[in-house]
Amino acid sequence: MSSAAGPPPEDAGQSSAPPGTPPVKSQKQMTKAERREIQERQRAAKAEKAAQNQSKNPGKSSNKPAQTSKESAPAPRKVSKPAEAAPRGAQGAAGQSKDTKTGGEDKPAHTRGLRIFSHFGLPKPTSHKGEVHPAIVRLGLQFSEFKITGANARCIATLTSFKTVIQDYVTPPNNTLSRHLMTYLSPQISYLVNVRPMSVTMGNAIRQLKLDISGTDIDLPEQDAKDALCGKIDTYIRDRIIAADQVIEETAGNKIKDGDAILTYARSSVVEKVLLAAYADGKEFTVTVVDSRPMLEGKKLLKVLSSAGIQCTYLLLPAVGSVITEISMVLVGAHSLHSNGAVFSRAGTALVAMMAKQHSVPVVVCCETYKFSETVQLDSFARNELAPLELFKSFPRNNEEDSSSLGDRPNLQILNPLYDLTPPSSITAVVTEVGVIPPSSISSIPLALGRTIL
Amino acid sequence: MLCPKVPVNMTVPSAAGILHPAQALKSTSALPATIPEDPSGSLSQDGFDVYASYQRILENEDIATPLAAILALTELIEHSTAGTMFELVKELHDAAEVLKNRTTNSISLNAGTELFIAFVTLFPHESDSFADLKTELVKQGQKYAAEALTYRSKISELALDFIKDDSVILTHSYSRVVMQTLLRAHKQKRISVYVTEARPRGLGVKTYEALTAAGIPCTMVLDSAVAYVMDMVDFILVGSEAVVESGGLINAVGSNQIAIISKAFKKPFYALAESYKFHRLFPLSQYDLPTHTDDILSFPRHAQRLSPVLAARPSVAPSTSSNPVLPRQLAIRRSESSASSSQRAMTPEQILRNPKVDYTMPDLISLVFSDVGILTPEGVSQYLVGMFAG
Repeated sequence: MSSAAGPPPEDAGQSSAPPGTPPVKSQKQMTKAERREIQERQRAAKAEKAAQNQSKNPGKSSNKPAQTSKESAPAPRKVSKPAEAAPRGAQGAAGQSKDTKTGGEDKPAHTRGLRIFSHFGLPKPTSHKGEVHPAIVRLGLQFSEFKITGANARCIATLTSFKTVIQDYVTPPNNTLSRHLMTYLSPQISYLVNVRPMSVTMGNAIRQLKLDISGTDIDLPEQDAKDALCGKIDTYIRDRIIAADQVIEETAGNKIKDGDAILTYARSSVVEKVLLAAYADGKEFTVTVVDSRPMLEGKKLLKVLSSAGIQCTYLLLPAVGSVITEISMVLVGAHSLHSNGAVFSRAGTALVAMMAKQHSVPVVVCCETYKFSETVQLDSFARNELAPLELFKSFPRNNEEDSSSLGDRPNLQILNPLYDLTPPSSITAVVTEVGVIPPSSISSIPLALGRTIL
Repeated sequence: MLCPKVPVNMTVPSAAGILHPAQALKSTSALPATIPEDPSGSLSQDGFDVYASYQRILENEDIATPLAAILALTELIEHSTAGTMFELVKELHDAAEVLKNRTTNSISLNAGTELFIAFVTLFPHESDSFADLKTELVKQGQKYAAEALTYRSKISELALDFIKDDSVILTHSYSRVVMQTLLRAHKQKRISVYVTEARPRGLGVKTYEALTAAGIPCTMVLDSAVAYVMDMVDFILVGSEAVVESGGLINAVGSNQIAIISKAFKKPFYALAESYKFHRLFPLSQYDLPTHTDDILSFPRHAQRLSPVLAARPSVAPSTSSNPVLPRQLAIRRSESSASSSQRAMTPEQILRNPKVDYTMPDLISLVFSDVGILTPEGVSQYLVGMFAG
């Protein structure tokens, strides 16, 4: 349950692994098979320790046990070589420490990753025990194939599916709904987390749902209790997302003036609504959509905006520097907002924001308050997610031969983090449903609203 | 709507011990009303003119714009025939709109009306009848205004600790709270003051005269000489028209450049602001202020080939279009250019194209002294979020 609500827990379940010191001398005396076995275990254990060791002693922690010449060449290039160890760490970090070894050894060469990114957690093959509701299975598939993306869409889809799950739930005899429903929901939640790491919005919404479930009156008839819960879910979606977006639309729309040139990055559902609403209001402005590989979400936004009649320009991230001086405001969405004012958003947002800050262009983030996370994040490494390579090709497929062979090169690894962190210093203002606030005041919002949880 | 209303006794964590203004309104023990006006007799029940009342209250030198707005709204409640809270709040909103539309610079006025309307909507309905509630509201409003008049001395008390003996202070334009602080400091410490002329209103002269009369060594500097004088200055002290949600400052034009220069010279920039000047507004840039209009800083449309200086330049695009406005514009242009060449001063038309206030970014401000405490710009924004959120 805790793994569902919080960040992926640090993998601490490797007690069977031997101590981390590599027994260099004995290795030479062993047979190949024995050495191999020891290495396997060491790698698994070291995968987690790597992050800590790396900062202190990058040469040693790059841990390349198969080579006997390992101390003689502490080149940074090494890091990319142990292709097997990294994914194992990645998968272990994503949740289930017990399954880690078997999962990693089954197909060791398919996923790669730098060890420092190993905790990001790639989507796992969906082998899950326990009872998973068909609605959740379908949702999981949509998540893992990135059919449903975006913090808002994922949160709404999750809550809607949970409504079905709750309606189909029957309290077993000698149990109460308020006590048992959560244990029934937990495997559903962890199933969703397995297919794709949970978004902060989902975490917040599920936390609220848990609170509502535990607060359900024991004496309430089962169907009434279920209806009440579904009603609460509907209220949450309406108040915290739909209505909040409407307020943001209006507030942010007021900041758009005639003749403005708005720049946005990738695609945010809120930003899209703001721009469409402002245009419907009769404001005259142009929009520059900046986009980037591998997801190229901006194309979708571009399609919507241009078909609505807004003058649009489309360019890729490297070209931002050329146009930023012509921009009057940068408008971006967010995945989540941290209490130190940092904005966690689609990878590339930080770059755009910093560039805008450098040119004194105001950076405005549109974000509902339910996206607030009370954690503090200092960089994009502490928590992130990798885009699955199968879905998002990193190279244009102009030449079929090239791209098909790229995936199999042992000394090449492709890294596509999905998010990055924009520091509060590069953000001018955050537009929320409670008003326009500077990033420094974000931490005081929940308190001002009289909420203990977000 | 979305969010629950803030409980009246809500305070912000960063500013512990700060009274919510609304709470301050309630908790104050009865103070002698120092407001000289007795409005009840002067206006008729039905035809109450909120703007006239606002203007009359403003005549009192000590009453700042937001406070005058609050008092005018208080009078409105007194004359209101509203029978429900909804009607009353609507009347207040309408009156606030009237005030806003009839003044050229509505920023600080809005701060006052917003504060008062928030206070009225949050006021607990404990009275027996609505008439009683209105009386209570009026009483509280006047009590607040009376107490608000003591804020300046509170602020000067706070600022006193930051003024060292032998300080050289730069101030801008004229501000009542800065004057009070300087006069207060003069009683205990040796201070000398540079004051900017603060064109176009030239209110720096007023400051200069008042300070000289009080015996404070004072020199007036040109607005364009701020960078020249900055190295001699220990810190900058300015008043404010409004303190906005970003933690920034809206003040007489020129404050922003002083703040920028002080930042470059690494001198502290202190702003003084009574808490009723805190305003829920988030300007993204200078041009995002409600006072900004299209006329400000606009280029004349037919400027080519008019003055000899311009004609000597390579011509841009000869305006030979048959625009009917052209002859009139030409006439104005001619008179302007001849006037400026003879007097070397800006014409009123030219001055009109200039802003009256500007916005100082929060990162240029060291501290904001207020009756609720000494706040950093971040603290101001947290205070404002706590005050109005929900």
